[in-house]
Amino acid sequence: MSNNFTTPLDSFINYKTNTHNQCGNYSIDIKKPKEDEQYRFHFDATACIGCHCCEVACNEQNNNDAAIKWRRVGETQSGSFPAISSHFNSMSCNHCIDPECLKGCPTNSYIKFDNGIVFHDDESCIGCQYCTWNCPYEVPVFDESRGIVTKCHMCHEKLDIGQTPACVQACPSGAIQIELVNTKEWLEKDMYTQGIAPHLCDVDITKPTTRYTLNEDLNKSIQTPADDHILKANHAEWPLVFMTVLTQMSLGAFSILFLLETLNYFSFITVNITTLMYILAFLPAALGLPLSALHLGRPILALTAMKNIKTSWLSREALALGLFTGALSASIVLSYLQSPYLLINNILVLALGIYGIYAQSMIYRIKARPSWNKKETTYNFFNVGYIGSLLIALSLLINEVYFLSSLVFSFSLILSIYQQLLFKKKETFYKNLEEENKNFYQLNKTKKLYEGMFKKHSQIRALTLNISITFTLIVLILLVNEYYLIAGIIAAISTVSAFVSEIIERSLFYKTAVAHGLAGHFFAGNQR
Amino acid sequence: MINKIKKFLGVDVQMEKFALVDDSTFGKVAKEKAPTKWVRSTCGYCGVGCGLYIGVKNNKAVYTKGDPAHPVNMGTLCPKGLSEHEIIDSSNRYDGPMIKKDGKLVDVSWDEAFKKTSDSFKNIQKKYGNQALACISTGQLLSEEFYTLGKFMQMGLKTTNYDGNTTLCMASAVMGYKQTFGSDGPPGAYEDFSYADVIMLIGANIADNHPILKLHIQKNEQITGKKPTIIVIDPRYSKTASMADIFVPLNPRADLALMNTLAYIIIENNWINEEFISKKTSNYENFKSHILNNYSPEQTSEIIGIKKEDLYELAKTYSSAKAAMSAWTMGVNHSSIGTDTVSAICNLALITGNLGRKGATALSITGQCNAMGTREVGFTSSIPGYRNFASKKDREEYAKIANVPYCDVPTKRGYSYPQIIDAINAGEIKALYIVATNPLVSFPDQIKLREAFDKLELLVVQDAFKSETTQVADIVFAAATWGEKEGTYTNSERRCNYAQKALAPRANTKSDFHIVLEFSKYFEGVNERLFPSWSEPLDAFNEWKKISEGRLCDYTGMSYSLIANLGGIQWPCNKEFPQGKARLYDDKIDFPTSDKKAKLLELDWLPFQDKLSTEFPLILNTGRTVEQWHTRTKTKEISILNDLCPEAWIEINPYDAKKLKVKSGERLSISSLRGTVKDIIVKESQTIKSGHIFIPFHYSKQLINAVTIAEFDPKSFEPNYKQCAVQLHSKNVPTGIKYNKKELSLELLNTVKQNQYTKKEYT
Repeated sequence: MSNNFTTPLDSFINYKTNTHNQCGNYSIDIKKPKEDEQYRFHFDATACIGCHCCEVACNEQNNNDAAIKWRRVGETQSGSFPAISSHFNSMSCNHCIDPECLKGCPTNSYIKFDNGIVFHDDESCIGCQYCTWNCPYEVPVFDESRGIVTKCHMCHEKLDIGQTPACVQACPSGAIQIELVNTKEWLEKDMYTQGIAPHLCDVDITKPTTRYTLNEDLNKSIQTPADDHILKANHAEWPLVFMTVLTQMSLGAFSILFLLETLNYFSFITVNITTLMYILAFLPAALGLPLSALHLGRPILALTAMKNIKTSWLSREALALGLFTGALSASIVLSYLQSPYLLINNILVLALGIYGIYAQSMIYRIKARPSWNKKETTYNFFNVGYIGSLLIALSLLINEVYFLSSLVFSFSLILSIYQQLLFKKKETFYKNLEEENKNFYQLNKTKKLYEGMFKKHSQIRALTLNISITFTLIVLILLVNEYYLIAGIIAAISTVSAFVSEIIERSLFYKTAVAHGLAGHFFAGNQR
Repeated sequence: MINKIKKFLGVDVQMEKFALVDDSTFGKVAKEKAPTKWVRSTCGYCGVGCGLYIGVKNNKAVYTKGDPAHPVNMGTLCPKGLSEHEIIDSSNRYDGPMIKKDGKLVDVSWDEAFKKTSDSFKNIQKKYGNQALACISTGQLLSEEFYTLGKFMQMGLKTTNYDGNTTLCMASAVMGYKQTFGSDGPPGAYEDFSYADVIMLIGANIADNHPILKLHIQKNEQITGKKPTIIVIDPRYSKTASMADIFVPLNPRADLALMNTLAYIIIENNWINEEFISKKTSNYENFKSHILNNYSPEQTSEIIGIKKEDLYELAKTYSSAKAAMSAWTMGVNHSSIGTDTVSAICNLALITGNLGRKGATALSITGQCNAMGTREVGFTSSIPGYRNFASKKDREEYAKIANVPYCDVPTKRGYSYPQIIDAINAGEIKALYIVATNPLVSFPDQIKLREAFDKLELLVVQDAFKSETTQVADIVFAAATWGEKEGTYTNSERRCNYAQKALAPRANTKSDFHIVLEFSKYFEGVNERLFPSWSEPLDAFNEWKKISEGRLCDYTGMSYSLIANLGGIQWPCNKEFPQGKARLYDDKIDFPTSDKKAKLLELDWLPFQDKLSTEFPLILNTGRTVEQWHTRTKTKEISILNDLCPEAWIEINPYDAKKLKVKSGERLSISSLRGTVKDIIVKESQTIKSGHIFIPFHYSKQLINAVTIAEFDPKSFEPNYKQCAVQLHSKNVPTGIKYNKKELSLELLNTVKQNQYTKKEYT
């Protein structure tokens, strides 16, 4: 090198450049938040030109691979040529006042700092990805190479010492800035006028703090996201498909046993509930629960999922169903010992099971995913118990308790017909989906997935459920006519068919979920 | 192994990799790639010319950070700049020179490569004459390299058939400036964006192509106290149009008609600046009568496609501004009437007196990092220092300063880029030396180009990256790239920036400067005659400084250290302007014409050659996207960029998509009289008018230049990339779009006023 010029300054950290903005500068002039104040982003959509500098700067700063984007730029457009408007939204985390990620996190890995930054503690994260479901902006992102979720922390380490967050520094339009916000005032009124932007969800869900400057007409017009054409199936979540169906079967089977045991106790009936039947009720849950750990990024830490009983339905589910399975195993022992404490223990098991499955269903009753957020989800979760009921009916049949077996088959039949009704209801709902629905964009994509990509799956679901219902009906007729062997075979087919049907239904439940989030990019979609 | 187990057990979440560490220069940086040194340099992508620092760790470039003290970018960088360090270690590079043996490129020594090439050159030139050798270079090299290469080609190898890919991008701006102002040289500065009351962007999609310029527009409000009026003139609603206050959706290629019509209205209403016209321009009366006779809004409004009343308002907005700035790029240049369109834009600036003042200018924004450098020093369309081949005085001056025989200095320009291709096809040119450009993607009319390549006896390609063109080369000179060599780049505002070397050239590669220098030794006496005791780029720079003395592009006051310390210097830089000068053609600098006045030219609009027909009823417009650079040799391996735009798309109005029964995400083929490209993804969008389509040109898989037309500007030889007649074919409608008469009738559009809302401002 013939010339070797060094930096004219030792450091650019405190050098102020002439941008008249926070951009360009490596240091930022901003006060520490006072009480009732927090840091927030201001995004000026009238300045943004969609150049993606912020995305690249973010990854450069935080050493993330190209596939992990903490900040993304979404695009929408409205109108028709030449009177069109296009809109870019560069979004990382909105550092919400009421963050759903934090509330749902089973391991308490989210911390809302005093300065308002919603921080994710990487070390305690087990990679359950529940936050990626809960956040209606799809902010947290699962990093497979690390087995955990990560997200924007507003470059808190830099901000703490007066350095500019990477995205703010990089924006050549000065469209991204850091500000202080009085959270009280924001929640009372400003959030509803300044916190909204096209295609984003209701601010009341998480109370985001990002302030938008945009063309006022923008929120009034219908905006088409640039990734409108991208229809991507969600993860199938196979471990969860099996875990949920199996635990629900267990509860169903156990409920029947409980009912029979109670009737027995009051001598309405006389039947020998065998230990084997308890084992039958226990097995699905015992198999299913450990399976669920497989969907974690860090399976070895599965047990820490019970840390946040206070606000996380996931913690509650994990704890309740864990105890349910444990107590159910105690019932097996007590049944074997013919202990008088069996009934009391059974009450406990039932309570834990019902709460557990309720908690399980509540995991999915989240605003960020409209196709899940229905009471039918809870109904469906409990009702899948009919497979467990079929199992017990079958075991009664094998034990030659024919009358009770018929009774339980009849009961299963009613449940499976209800399941059929729920299925029809869902089909009708999507068939008649109205544009007025406030979640139309997401639900319509779910509809397209159900009716397009997964049409065959839906048909098989319907067919197998119908087979199960029809076969159970045939079983009842055969039982009346005392064709026990054939009845047993048909009943077994019915049970398997029901199981297959519910597994398909559940996998579609996951695959067709379309989340609220940022409008995407023509090629890259929402980058989630 | 232990890490794998750790990963499986999920006990390690690589906290180390994602930790930050304090850097004393730039603050916190990623620990894993914390640089051990920062090297000051200049970005090597586009003509904006941003100052940056290259972070180096373990002999690898790990960071690029915007230089806050640099007046161009003030600490910011575009997405390509921010990830530029990744190009150096790209797997898409060569490690050393290669020669094709048995149809395969194999590694050879530099000696073998130089020997074989020089022998072939000598044989061919001996057999067919000196002119049988041609060179097509680039806008990507450093000025020192351009000067060395130009001198070597013209006076060493003695062929004037030397041009650059700048002919595909900036040639019309050069010729337009020459015919109007008497010389090339953009008269304005980026800071004019911050001072103008009206900013008129004509065929310039700066949001995609020059995002950092937005920084200067963004500053305007704080400096002037009010928002500038931004006019965006573009047939397509580009990303840039979204920042417009007035969007002018004119018909493709109608800019010249529009400029002349605005001139008509301005003259008609006497909104002219009489003082400026009489003091600074010539030929006004002829110009006036030409405009008044031919360009009344009644006559032109259909050509332009904009309603009359809007044209009046536009003219008023522009002419009533205290300071109006017009800026343009490829929408103007990529046209067979590009040169005249450039002059028409300048005419408008001249009659309203919008030149040579803060915020008042007519600025051509250049595409490549050093297109300007090659214009000044490159020896293609002129003798270095904007000297004229035809002028005996200029030739003598050059010969004297450069200490070369006068008779060696060419008396006229050789073939231009497209003429070189034609001459190969005609059998005149037998050997082609290509430097850092990739015609197999970027040249229009690929069929003709490929025919030409087949006829070559020798194709030598000098490039740092593997390209479609290097792959068909007989010999590859593997060059060092940005960050591995030193020298200067000149940006769109005549700012000469210093680029420092951060790393040694990769493996067995050499800088373009050293390749030429050493290659010249294989030609008897050439090195000694042209490059006596040269060893470093500084030697070329020093000679160039002497050559530039007294010229408009005067570099005599510059030195590498001064350039670096000032964050670049806008020429002229000499005793009179020791720190350079922001603007040309003010009270201190006259127009370099014989009467020291700019000439108002009588220019005419012409339709494009390709006729729309029922067979080819659509107009194809081509362009770029922010994520990719040119033919993607640098950017396709950078996944954060490439993932956002991995392939070309057809932007089409939903009305036309419906006719073709396609939707966004589906696929279409495109055809023209020249060729067909299959399987391009559809992007339905209201950003484009029905009847027009847009496709980016970056991609070799969707090679859009197989469809574009080989129509060239007769003055600049720049191709007409922006308009040609095409048809689209879908699976359901294979015969393509048919318009009925009603749809074909010319419908005039209004300009669109946007942002007419009160911007919500809270604190």
